[in-house]
Amino acid sequence: MNTEIKILKQIEPKDFTLISGLPGVAYIGKLSVDYLMKQLKAELVGEVYSKHFPPYVLIEKDGLVELLKNQLYRSNSKDGRNFLFLTGNAQAFSPEGQYEVANEVLEWASDHGLKRIFSLAGFVTDRPFDKPNVYITTTKSNLLEEMKKLGGIALDQGIISGANGLIMGLAKKMNLEGACLLGETHGYQTATGRYLSDAKAAKAVLNLLASFLDLKLDMDPLEKQAQQTDEVIAKMAEVERRIQEQMKQEAKKPSYVF
Amino acid sequence: MEEDTWIRYYGKTVVEEPVAIVGSPGLRSIGKIVVALIAKETRAKPLADLYSSHLPLIYETRPSYAAHPALPGIGGVKVRQGMVELPKVQFYACPKPSLIMVEGCHPNFAGQYQVAQKTVDFIAGLGTKMVVVTAGYGSKERKVCCAATSQEVLSEMKKKLGVEVDYQGPFYGFSGLVFGMAKRKGIKAITLFAGTTPHPQNPEYPDLEGAKKILNTVRPLLQPKKA
Repeated sequence: MNTEIKILKQIEPKDFTLISGLPGVAYIGKLSVDYLMKQLKAELVGEVYSKHFPPYVLIEKDGLVELLKNQLYRSNSKDGRNFLFLTGNAQAFSPEGQYEVANEVLEWASDHGLKRIFSLAGFVTDRPFDKPNVYITTTKSNLLEEMKKLGGIALDQGIISGANGLIMGLAKKMNLEGACLLGETHGYQTATGRYLSDAKAAKAVLNLLASFLDLKLDMDPLEKQAQQTDEVIAKMAEVERRIQEQMKQEAKKPSYVF
Repeated sequence: MEEDTWIRYYGKTVVEEPVAIVGSPGLRSIGKIVVALIAKETRAKPLADLYSSHLPLIYETRPSYAAHPALPGIGGVKVRQGMVELPKVQFYACPKPSLIMVEGCHPNFAGQYQVAQKTVDFIAGLGTKMVVVTAGYGSKERKVCCAATSQEVLSEMKKKLGVEVDYQGPFYGFSGLVFGMAKRKGIKAITLFAGTTPHPQNPEYPDLEGAKKILNTVRPLLQPKKA
């Protein structure tokens, strides 16, 4: 096995919009896509396995084992539009692996009528903000202009590392219409280096995407999560402030006192 | 050499619908000890060896199961009484009770999935009806808990072995991936985790007591089939 898509349910090739969000900075992409899938009652159609995913399995709370994988879901909106979603619990580890997995998924999606791609992710800034910006980058200039009108900010320069960025680059190579929506975050991490989920940024990303795609979403549950994110971030900022204060005090002490 | 992972099959012991017991030198070497104890008790015979260019002789990671792409290890051979041996995954078999024992070995980062896949394919080819992976987990309580490939298997094992779910989190290395790959292959599988105290200076320092707890728990699965 290198990379393999296991089809669980055959789907008819149609004009699909693929929305991708894999675990990355502050889990913004994954959180957004998982939320959207729930709202649109998406069904699982395929699983992506790869030897390029990190070499471990997960033992879940219910005691069941899970290999690391990406998952493909599909749903129809009320007006009959077709959506595919790419989510999962891992990204490939190496650049070679990320290209391989992204190419396999895009090839499969192309065979099933892929027309447009949206990739959702996070963008770390250090500016203080109340409302996170949503930065955008697209494969076609007309799409960029349309999204700017809805409040998106064109990303002037920067990098989008990992699969969420790569899929957009490959989409451009395939001459597909696509946009990457990057929710602004401070990217807080725990002591073990794990990102805290930023529901506030996910909400901002979804608001822009829903406006663009004209989707009616119930944002109340995500709003509650966003409030919790705010509380956690406020606590972390307070801890950070206290540590800085303490360090300043320590620095003032004469060095010969022990 | 075309393939970089291959199996040398001795094929001397015939096993029918065996249960495969898997263990590797993971946390406190519990899995590896369980496999050695059962092999000794059942007088199991060597069945096959799996070799791979992804199996290092010297690990640059500590513990060996925490593979890292930048630390692939160093290849080489073991020498015992003047004879050389490549690092390998070893398979033993016992006809009655029908068992296969798999003593694992941790590949480098790039070969983990390949070696686990080859192992699962091999034991599946022998008609294995169930895989029992054994390992340790960091816990203050010295009890045995379990994880499984499905709720049905979990319920069956809770009843048969009197174990409960306790550990939640990642399961690294050879044994973890064999467990995951068995699920993907459609073979029913469980892991029995023995609670053990981590030994930061030497993570693979043997814990015989933990291994014996698993051995006592797994016994109902080691009984010969009634005619």
